[in-house]
Amino acid sequence: MIRLQNVSWRRERKNGTPVLSNLTLTVPQGGFRWLLGPSGAGKTSLLSLLHVESLPSDGSLEILNKTVSVDTPRATLMRLRQRIGMVHQNYRLMPGLSVADNVALPLRLQHRPEDEITDEVQAILKWVGLGERVNVQASRLSGGEQQRTAIARAIVHRPGLILADEPTNALEEPQAHKLLDLFGELSSMGTTVIVATHNEALIRRLPRPSLYVERGRLVREDD
Amino acid sequence: MVLPFSGRKDGLSLSEALPDRSLFILVAMMSFLAALTLTGATGARALSARWAGGAAQLLTIQVSAPDQPAPSTAPNPSATSTAKQKSDAAAHQTRADAVLALLASLPDGTQTHKLSKEELAHLLTPWLGDASNSALPLPAVIEVRLPQGTEPPPDLEQTLNAQIPGTVVEHNAEWSTRLRALADSLLACAALALVTVGGIAAMITGLATRTGLSTRRDIIEILHGLGATDSYIAGRFAGRTGGLALGGGILGTLLAIAPLVLLFRMAAPFAVSSLQSTAITMPDWRTLPDILPKDLLIGLVALPVVAAFIGWATTQIMVRIWLRRMP
Repeated sequence: MIRLQNVSWRRERKNGTPVLSNLTLTVPQGGFRWLLGPSGAGKTSLLSLLHVESLPSDGSLEILNKTVSVDTPRATLMRLRQRIGMVHQNYRLMPGLSVADNVALPLRLQHRPEDEITDEVQAILKWVGLGERVNVQASRLSGGEQQRTAIARAIVHRPGLILADEPTNALEEPQAHKLLDLFGELSSMGTTVIVATHNEALIRRLPRPSLYVERGRLVREDD
Repeated sequence: MVLPFSGRKDGLSLSEALPDRSLFILVAMMSFLAALTLTGATGARALSARWAGGAAQLLTIQVSAPDQPAPSTAPNPSATSTAKQKSDAAAHQTRADAVLALLASLPDGTQTHKLSKEELAHLLTPWLGDASNSALPLPAVIEVRLPQGTEPPPDLEQTLNAQIPGTVVEHNAEWSTRLRALADSLLACAALALVTVGGIAAMITGLATRTGLSTRRDIIEILHGLGATDSYIAGRFAGRTGGLALGGGILGTLLAIAPLVLLFRMAAPFAVSSLQSTAITMPDWRTLPDILPKDLLIGLVALPVVAAFIGWATTQIMVRIWLRRMP
């Protein structure tokens, strides 16, 4: 469950122009939302807020049943972040690590047993089509392979919330459709999914409610 | 099938971010200095304690013409026959024996030791050469060690002089006070030096940590994005610097042991009271564990642990402060 009540966010703590203004919305657990809007509208900023990389300047924010504010202890925020899977536009992979080690990171941070990590990583890499590339360094992957690695890393630990910023940019159509099907499946299994995109074809393929953001404001919610 | 994980589990690659050589060697040098300072401090404290407790209780009494008969006291007409016998015996006493007899009235537990001719000759050898064949008249030297907490009678010299003229009493209390002040100031200097060495070690570790953090900024941002806590990241860095500091501390302490043992071996004879032995010889190497003070041994063992703790704690603090600025 995600709940925002009059949430604003400014880059500076005080008196700055808000990047996000008076956002009020609710996404139930297992809900799927497309996040739409022109470039610079605030989609990435909203995803950062939901990923608790930035904290609300005003209003109240609740993510996965945890209230988040500037007073929330850092350790609590980090534990909350461990329950969120994030696919960044620029992938944010560890260039010096292999594909397998990159994907294993969220599980290692949760101190899962190594044999369990091996099984989970193996399965997810096979699913995203990187079963033969497990030992390749991330820096040597193509754009599409890096994106698939980032997606695998975001979902390997079965998070309660998946946030994806243009996750299909570098993917070919069959891979993009496969990913959408996975997101739909995860959503029906109880994972909340929010995907920012400009790709109208994707939205047509998976019709789900949309959030329209413009100039940092939520201007429309379509069912 | 086992996945071929690279072993660089979280991408921090701290062996590259915090290269072992520089920090390890610098901490080893700091530990070497600290070990030497610790030894100085231990020595100063031992001397202080010795001078405070031992030397202050020590009297040295010189009796000139020691083998001459002691002056006889006036006969008492009313004395009994037994007293007369005693008086006759006293009349045949030497001056040295008479002083020893008078010293018997000092508090219980007082140790007296009249140096033999050989011991006296041995003491004077540096000045007179073979003093056993010297024609110079040598006084008798009597060492008196009073029990702890007691003081010699203030009129001891007067009493002795009245009975045996020409007896000189030297009391070490005044010297002891001055030497104790000197030892205490040495101890304060050593403590200051130890604090300085610890501070420099913390600064070196802090600088190394900062460099490591700035080279790993991007990686740390990614880890943070995945939910790595401040404790995790600080723990990874602190584990590395703590380990390096422990290794450096062990090396520095081991390197310091050779000069320390040599110094203690040289200083060992001065730690022995002439009441126990007058032999000024180097002790056997095998007896060194007995000669080295226990608190110094404990300090040397603790030194690498303290170095590791300084490295670990400094890094923990540095990393946590640095991470506060991250989203």
